[in-house]
Amino acid sequence: MVNSSDTNSSDTSFLQLEVSPSRLLKPETAQALLNEIVELEGIIRLFVHGPGLPQTVPYGPAKGEPVHHPANTLIEVGGQTMELAVYVGGIRLEVADADVKEQVREVCERVLPVPFEFREGHFIPTRQTVTDYAKRGPGADPVMIGMTDPKGKLKDHPVCILKSESKGND
Amino acid sequence: MAYELQYYPGATSVAENRRKHMSGKVEKLRDISDEDLTLVLGHRAPGSDYPSTHPPLAEMGEPECSMRELVEPTPGAKAGDRIRYVQFADSMYNAPATPYFRSYNAAICFRGVDPGTLSGRQVVEARERDMEEVAKFQIETEMTCPALAGLRGATVHGHSLRLPEDGVMFDMLDRCRKEGDVIIMHKDQVGRPIDKKVNLGKPMSEEEAAKRTTIYRVDNVSFRDDPEVIEWVHRVFDQRTKYGFKPE
Repeated sequence: MVNSSDTNSSDTSFLQLEVSPSRLLKPETAQALLNEIVELEGIIRLFVHGPGLPQTVPYGPAKGEPVHHPANTLIEVGGQTMELAVYVGGIRLEVADADVKEQVREVCERVLPVPFEFREGHFIPTRQTVTDYAKRGPGADPVMIGMTDPKGKLKDHPVCILKSESKGND
Repeated sequence: MAYELQYYPGATSVAENRRKHMSGKVEKLRDISDEDLTLVLGHRAPGSDYPSTHPPLAEMGEPECSMRELVEPTPGAKAGDRIRYVQFADSMYNAPATPYFRSYNAAICFRGVDPGTLSGRQVVEARERDMEEVAKFQIETEMTCPALAGLRGATVHGHSLRLPEDGVMFDMLDRCRKEGDVIIMHKDQVGRPIDKKVNLGKPMSEEEAAKRTTIYRVDNVSFRDDPEVIEWVHRVFDQRTKYGFKPE
């Protein structure tokens, strides 16, 4: 049995935000936006999501052929290089308070070349599910909950920790 | 007075475009050569003969049959071609065609075709040269915008997604790209690389796509803007319901 009090996210008073641009973002735009956002103080955690980009053709007569999608590229965020495995369609993030929320909104208005929707709500799980427990066990880091594809294998979806030395800046 | 075929009710641009697609009276916007078409379809090498699945009908000696005498076989059937397919995906963001209207077009304007209509894609199966005729017609005319529609034999995901920044419908296999101001296809419809880049022409501007689309959208022409369409949809639903009502 999972003891929920042990596995809750570090602080439930944090705000959760979602940024949904009206177009899918090019890797350069996504990189510029992420770099501006991670520089802000008070970003707890964030992830990008969007349609996946496979390395090889997954099915059909061309199964196994390499794809070489131009959006499947390496981007550098906060000094770390990471592989962008999705065409960025949105960003979900957890921030410390309403001030940071307004700063994120300003960054989006400045960087995004297209109109966007900016919502506050509940987008990242704060309590681990039975599946999370089965995958990560009882001693899992609560900040990692909901940060990977729930249907994927953990080894295929690494979580990139940008500033692991200071809590609250993952 | 000669009877004029009627295809679709309504007075809006969308209704007019739907009538155009169904009747086949669409504007030709671009040219695609036979060799390029063969390349992107990927069923045979360009310039090669059509492989056949049976000898030509003239050599087979058909049985005596009034129906066979009445119906002229299509060129593909006459020659004994294989059955092959072409599949399109159309974006929900004002693509000119939708799966239903591609199917209406194929079924009304061409013979010997088997259109399959799905939510996000549309496939036409036919004898190879008959299928190529349909594919060429639909690609060359205003039924297709190279950016908002795509030839996709496998992995069709993209029709319901937001468009990427460059306006070319998302394709996870990267079969077509925007190069300069034209759209090129550098893989066949299932994602195998092809020998040369096939130029599919310029994409439609947002305004042109909104003008040529057969999709009712609240941010363009709303379904509710067309009273005649509403009236006929109500009539069809009403009569279908009454016809299906069978008190035991």
